[in-house]
Amino acid sequence: MRLETFSYLPRLSAGQLTQQIRSILSRHLVVGIEYTSAPDPHDHYWTMWKLPLFGTHDPAAVVAELDACRQANPDAYIKINGYDPVRQGQVVSFVASQPQRGA
Amino acid sequence: MFDAGVHEYRETYWAPGYQPRETDLLAAFRLIPQPEVAAEEAAAAVAAESSTATWTTVWTDRLTMLERYQARAYSLEPVPGRQGQYLACIAYPLELFEEGSVTSMMASITGNVFGFKAIRALRLEDLRVPVAYVKTFQGPPTGIQVERDKLNKYGRPLLGATLKPKLGLSPRNYGRACFELLRGGLDFTKDDENITSQPFMRWGDRYQFVMEAVRKAEQETGERKGHYLNVTAPDCEQMLERAEFARQLGSPIIMHDYLVGGFAAHTTLSRWCRRNGMLLHVHRALHAVVDRQKDHGIHFRVLAKWLRLAGGDHLHTGTVVGKLEGDREATLGVVDLLREDFVPADRGRGIYFDQEWASLPAVLPAASGGIHVWHMPALVEIFGDDSVLQFGGGSAGHPQGSRAGATANRVALEACVQARNEGRDLTAEGPQILKQAASQSPELAAALDTWREIRFEFEAVDTPDVMQA
Repeated sequence: MRLETFSYLPRLSAGQLTQQIRSILSRHLVVGIEYTSAPDPHDHYWTMWKLPLFGTHDPAAVVAELDACRQANPDAYIKINGYDPVRQGQVVSFVASQPQRGA
Repeated sequence: MFDAGVHEYRETYWAPGYQPRETDLLAAFRLIPQPEVAAEEAAAAVAAESSTATWTTVWTDRLTMLERYQARAYSLEPVPGRQGQYLACIAYPLELFEEGSVTSMMASITGNVFGFKAIRALRLEDLRVPVAYVKTFQGPPTGIQVERDKLNKYGRPLLGATLKPKLGLSPRNYGRACFELLRGGLDFTKDDENITSQPFMRWGDRYQFVMEAVRKAEQETGERKGHYLNVTAPDCEQMLERAEFARQLGSPIIMHDYLVGGFAAHTTLSRWCRRNGMLLHVHRALHAVVDRQKDHGIHFRVLAKWLRLAGGDHLHTGTVVGKLEGDREATLGVVDLLREDFVPADRGRGIYFDQEWASLPAVLPAASGGIHVWHMPALVEIFGDDSVLQFGGGSAGHPQGSRAGATANRVALEACVQARNEGRDLTAEGPQILKQAASQSPELAAALDTWREIRFEFEAVDTPDVMQA
């Protein structure tokens, strides 16, 4: 199975993940985290992990939320989204974490 | 009293002091008068014949107020480095055009003036469509953002491929070619413009096999897929019948050739797509007949603006780097006109007027024609995320077949996006980025070996002759 952007590359290392998050934040996008245990290409609404991280500018804070989401949902696929309030939509989205087993 | 006879056009239609109104439609023409005709007279003739005048005065002129309806040639300047050529700007009052009608605009502005004897050649370079007029058009059925939301694809260009060979496959084999490309990692496959409904593959059979391939590739990959089902047909009834069948089969997208089909048919289809939540991919067969020669015809930026008004979600624009004609700056100007909400005049890009789109949805430029993996860094750099990059031969020509070719392109694309987001320079580091990614992808490694030497380096025929304001 593939999960859209970056799913054809080797899994992002911790350092590479931080760089992608930094790139989202540097574009003044709002980061949101979503998760699901059963990805489906026709499903637009994964479960939100808290509200989007308004006012967060530090990639480490995003990584901490991602870890917290993973701890609470060990069997989940977890996406990082970047919302653009000007364009009124998501402009970035990729799966940043997958269940340890499987995949 | 009625003053019969022939008057010089410039007496009425040459208005050098005229300040265009906000609601005027403005046109920039490259004008080559016959040697014995003064430039002002030629410019005035264009304004006259594309609005209220004919060759002689007529008594019925006196029954109306021509000043209210007449176009005015309001500026004229020589084109640098092109002897005997002028840039003429003409303002048309909005009353001359029917609401929401590209055909009305075309018939008026490109009516008989292009064949006028006093003019040796004429080219429509740009058109400023006033906001008041823009607001009477539907525009793209879906728009870029909603397309992304529907298909769940973000933060990267979309990937497509035209199925090859473009002619002669049976419906079942055609569906196979589609399936292999989609499961390999492309988002879309595409009918070539020649594919409509020939004896070797009728449209209904094609649609059924192709949609089976799309559904199966979605199940296998977990990603949304689509195939641009060409609905270009001999008549509008059949066009809509094909569109309706594509909808019933669950296709997210259909395709139309807007210049071949014509603007009336295209607008009908675009409105149908809006009603039915269907994406509309637009091909531009015929365009180079009209837009390639500098001296005569219509520049593609005008054809692209008309398409945005009539409506389409993707439009082919050229690649800058592939096998087809396209000056870089002019192509980037067209890309802006399709995607941005406001595009400022920029003569280096051949854009003569500010264009305000007033929230009309945007169109994804589709880059297609002779591109392969080595072009990927340049394409990501040039087109950015909001584009469709189409690798036809560059996918199915892979030594291990279509699936591997598709994977090679997808890996290359994602590696370039990742590197760009990390702040790396795609122009300078492109080859390294690709080679690095290929170390993890045998498909990409094989693709890089196959296409290393192929280049298409010819001078563009149609370059903007820069005319500074």
